[in-house]
Amino acid sequence: MTSYFDKRTQTPVETRKYVHFYVAFSGLLFLGTVWSLWDEVVSRRPWKDYQTEYNDLLAAKYDSLALDAQASVDSAAVSQATEAVASARAALSAEEYVTTNERKTDLLEELEIATREWRFARSRSDAAYYQYKKDLAEGKDATSSKAELDGHDADIAKWFESRNNLEREIAGFDLILEKYTTAVQKAEVELRALLGAVAGYQAKAEKQRQSPIAIHQVVKNDYEFTPFQEVKARVDRCQTCHLGWREELMTDAPQPHSKHPAPELLAQHNPETFGCTPCHRGQGPALTPGFAHGDEDHYWETPLLRGNDVYASCNGCHYNETRLKFAKPYVKAKQVVIESGCYGCHEIKGFSDLPKIGPPLYSITAKATPEWIYRWVRNPRDYSPHTRMPNFRFSDEQAEAVTAYLVSASRTSEFTLERPRGSYAGGSPSEGKRLFEAVGCQACHVTAGFTTVRDVRGTSYDIAPELSRVGSKVNADWLFDWLKNPRHYNADSRMPSLRLSDQEARNVVAYVMTMKDERALDKFSVALDDPDRIARGDKLIREYGCAGCHLIKGMENEGKVSVELSDFGRKKAEQMDFGDTKPIQAHGEQEYLANDDGTVSVQHTWRGWIYGKLKNARLFQTERIAQKMPVFEFSDEEIKLVRMFLISMTRDIPLPAHQRAYDKRFQDIEGGRRVSMRYNCQQCHILEDEGGYVLAKYEEAALGPPPIPETQGAKVQEQWLHAFFKNPTTIRPWLKIRMPTFQFNEEEIGKLQKYFLGMAHQDMVIRDYASVQPETDYLRPGRQLFDTYQCAKCHPSGPVSGEGAADLAPNLAMASSRLKPEWISGWLLDPQRLQPGTRMPQFFFDGQGPDESVLNGDANEQIRALQTYVWSLGRRSGTPIADR
Amino acid sequence: MQCRRVLGILILGMTIASAGDVTGKVAFAGTPPKGSPLQMTADPVCKKAHTKPVTGEDVVVNKNGTLRNVIVYVKSGLKGSFTAPKDKLVFDQMGCLYTPHVLSLMVGQELEVRNSDATLHNVHSLSKANPQFNNAQPMKGMKMTKTFAKEETFKVKCEVHPWMGAYIGVFNHPYHAVTGDDGSFTIKGLPAGEYTIEAWHEKYGTKTATVKVDASGKATVDFSYKS
Ligand SMILES: [Cu+2]
Repeated sequence: MTSYFDKRTQTPVETRKYVHFYVAFSGLLFLGTVWSLWDEVVSRRPWKDYQTEYNDLLAAKYDSLALDAQASVDSAAVSQATEAVASARAALSAEEYVTTNERKTDLLEELEIATREWRFARSRSDAAYYQYKKDLAEGKDATSSKAELDGHDADIAKWFESRNNLEREIAGFDLILEKYTTAVQKAEVELRALLGAVAGYQAKAEKQRQSPIAIHQVVKNDYEFTPFQEVKARVDRCQTCHLGWREELMTDAPQPHSKHPAPELLAQHNPETFGCTPCHRGQGPALTPGFAHGDEDHYWETPLLRGNDVYASCNGCHYNETRLKFAKPYVKAKQVVIESGCYGCHEIKGFSDLPKIGPPLYSITAKATPEWIYRWVRNPRDYSPHTRMPNFRFSDEQAEAVTAYLVSASRTSEFTLERPRGSYAGGSPSEGKRLFEAVGCQACHVTAGFTTVRDVRGTSYDIAPELSRVGSKVNADWLFDWLKNPRHYNADSRMPSLRLSDQEARNVVAYVMTMKDERALDKFSVALDDPDRIARGDKLIREYGCAGCHLIKGMENEGKVSVELSDFGRKKAEQMDFGDTKPIQAHGEQEYLANDDGTVSVQHTWRGWIYGKLKNARLFQTERIAQKMPVFEFSDEEIKLVRMFLISMTRDIPLPAHQRAYDKRFQDIEGGRRVSMRYNCQQCHILEDEGGYVLAKYEEAALGPPPIPETQGAKVQEQWLHAFFKNPTTIRPWLKIRMPTFQFNEEEIGKLQKYFLGMAHQDMVIRDYASVQPETDYLRPGRQLFDTYQCAKCHPSGPVSGEGAADLAPNLAMASSRLKPEWISGWLLDPQRLQPGTRMPQFFFDGQGPDESVLNGDANEQIRALQTYVWSLGRRSGTPIADR
Repeated sequence: MQCRRVLGILILGMTIASAGDVTGKVAFAGTPPKGSPLQMTADPVCKKAHTKPVTGEDVVVNKNGTLRNVIVYVKSGLKGSFTAPKDKLVFDQMGCLYTPHVLSLMVGQELEVRNSDATLHNVHSLSKANPQFNNAQPMKGMKMTKTFAKEETFKVKCEVHPWMGAYIGVFNHPYHAVTGDDGSFTIKGLPAGEYTIEAWHEKYGTKTATVKVDASGKATVDFSYKS
């Protein structure tokens, strides 16, 4: 059988027909054109549907608002007003109005005629005048032309008169007519006022329905650098579909129409100029969800960040800052990274100047026994289930070697106790317990009976060692030495001195040593002084990077043992090794799956790898590939936070014009923040809206440590604060908790000072407060008000003794050497605003003081007087206090 | 259609007709704790105001074996929203004590806070849902008016006189009462229906009961606390 093509080849070329091909191909071409048109206009334009949907949704909301408004309108008043309009309109057909109107129309006609005739008369008069003058000039007889001129002038006067009369008459009619029309207008205005809101919403709904369908885009020229250091622009069209991002009414609307959930962030990063992708990522110019969000575009490197992960973007500009007011998850993530000491092994941008998080191990045998050290090295969480020290999963033999090295290094230490052995003896455990609970140990340390601080903090790890079993870890001699002066054992310790007397310290030692580990200890039976074992320990410690967190003899200058993380967010799943884990295919909620056969499944993606690694650092270890990262016990929430932080680890930074300048003020604030973070100020104090964890212990906030408000820097004198940090004094006698002595160095105090000043928008100025004189004129009224308002009921202003003293407010004799005078005024005006929950009541309301007989009751004047008087108290020199 | 309308009017008429009162008593069993005498020596004005020793009001058991200062209120079962009563309540500081020691009012209802003592008092609300306030009244006869926007029961105290404390219950509805010196209470004008009624005492906490207010418009609920 011969086919069509065989037959065709037998036909001579000249006579072959191509018409079938033409028809077929042109048919295809036609279909292709139709398809591409269809695709262009309909299927690739989902945003048009979104916009229509949005307009309909919003218009419907306006409609329902209009209905609501209608419902809230007083219907009786509306029907009354409607009737008024109707009757006013009906009056327009009353006889008076109709006839007046008719007569007015007639008169208007007459007026028109009169005006015309008047104008004609004037023109004729002009012509006659010309003829008259011409006759005179030519010496002709001008009598007849004069007569004509006079006749025309008379006409002008006549018509003018008639116009005036007509106009007057019409004005009279107008008055009558107006009476009717204004009545109608008034009634209509009243009705409209009643239905005003309704009409407004209706108009808005109508406008929304008519709103044009168009692409909304934000173009940012000079936004960032390409990898080749060329300036690159960014185009965002996200708002084409997300039209409702700032529409209050769309708060609960479904996506893509809903309002942005964090308007406070938009106030800083205006989407109209800043766009959306700098924070949310995704493919800005794309207009279909799959491509715009980047998850259907496999080759798009920066898909949309969902959920809390969007906070990773903060790091692009704010990598220097550890606290951002409106980015709580970001702050929390950085806190977990810093507190877990990730930077000990990994280089991380913005974390280079942080101190090692673990204690130095130079003299560890002065504190604990080799048996304890061995057990700790093998599995820290066995002794302390919430410790930050991760588990290196050392074998017994490895743990013995590490212990051998640490013990031998410690044996050469020159550390000696400050007091003879046994000095700790003679304490009372019950008295010690009372002190332990009162002075503030529990602000940082958890014990078996008190876990509040851990619970409130909500992290899986403790910030200071749990003391529930500490009696089996440390020896009493060391503990006594430590409590008296923590910096004697560890020159950089964060543990403050509580200024305990010898006997107080003995009592606390007696109590703390009662907290024992009742379990049988695992022993080891090898010789620790075997040089081979010590050498093996040395090697292990270097390999596993113990020196990243601890100061260890001979290893002070070890580098970071693991990879740098500063660009880790850019790594691809293809570059990661998933070991023997099985992939979870469903990209969704399931992050980690422990299978019945002992294997583990994770998503084989970047996110899945990180989750698995943080869940179990040895997860991807195989027979061939050993891994050294120790195992942390992060909670699911913490894993996700740290992962979000790692997403942020890219080198993509917008050009400086798009960033907030990291100026001196921010640098000052950040410097202080890091000091405050190191010493855990937030365990006790609320600082930048965070912290005060120990407050959960108190029935009432005013009985716990005071918050440090943003205005702190404006409150206390720099000299005073310096002295206070060096040696805290009692300000609030009613507090049982003590501000400990942290033994800050000068640099740290300076940073804290600048931190507080920076938050209060003040600069460090050296000011001689002693020379600020009280205003003499205000002293007497000040004293009078001080008495009337009975300030002395709570505030002493001199030496105090005896009962009740503990319940007193700060001694005002301190005021002039402690406070800034301007602050006193602000405090008197509204104490709750400066320190919510304070026991100091507010005296002044609406610009008035309670006593109207002094200074006309003017609040500002009275405050000035009180401030003056308070400032004069306790001053050794200067103006004497008004006579008593 | 016609039937339905008639039925509607009937039902409406019935609900209006069947608004009822819930009454009851709060009993107290066991030996009442001995109140500790208040030491008012710190402020002579306070001391002078009393000729007899004063005891704390945290637990007051009446002569008939009932408990005073218990707030009894509708906890759930109400429908719709309510407007605040126009009448002002008075919260006085007299003889360095709060009168009344416990009071209840509705969201938006006015409370006049007075100082009838010639000494400094401050009224510090330890509220959580409502914004805290801490206002001083240093002179006798001073007055101020407060309203509250959120439902909660909170403590009020004076920082000058540590023994001074009172409790204020704020409710979203007008159906609440405080037991007096006979331990009884009356919640008036409650529409027919089933309700959960709760009693609250500052020391002994809460008790709940359910009650059905029917067409007769009367219902009784009793509570009992133990020492
Ligand atoms: Cu008082």
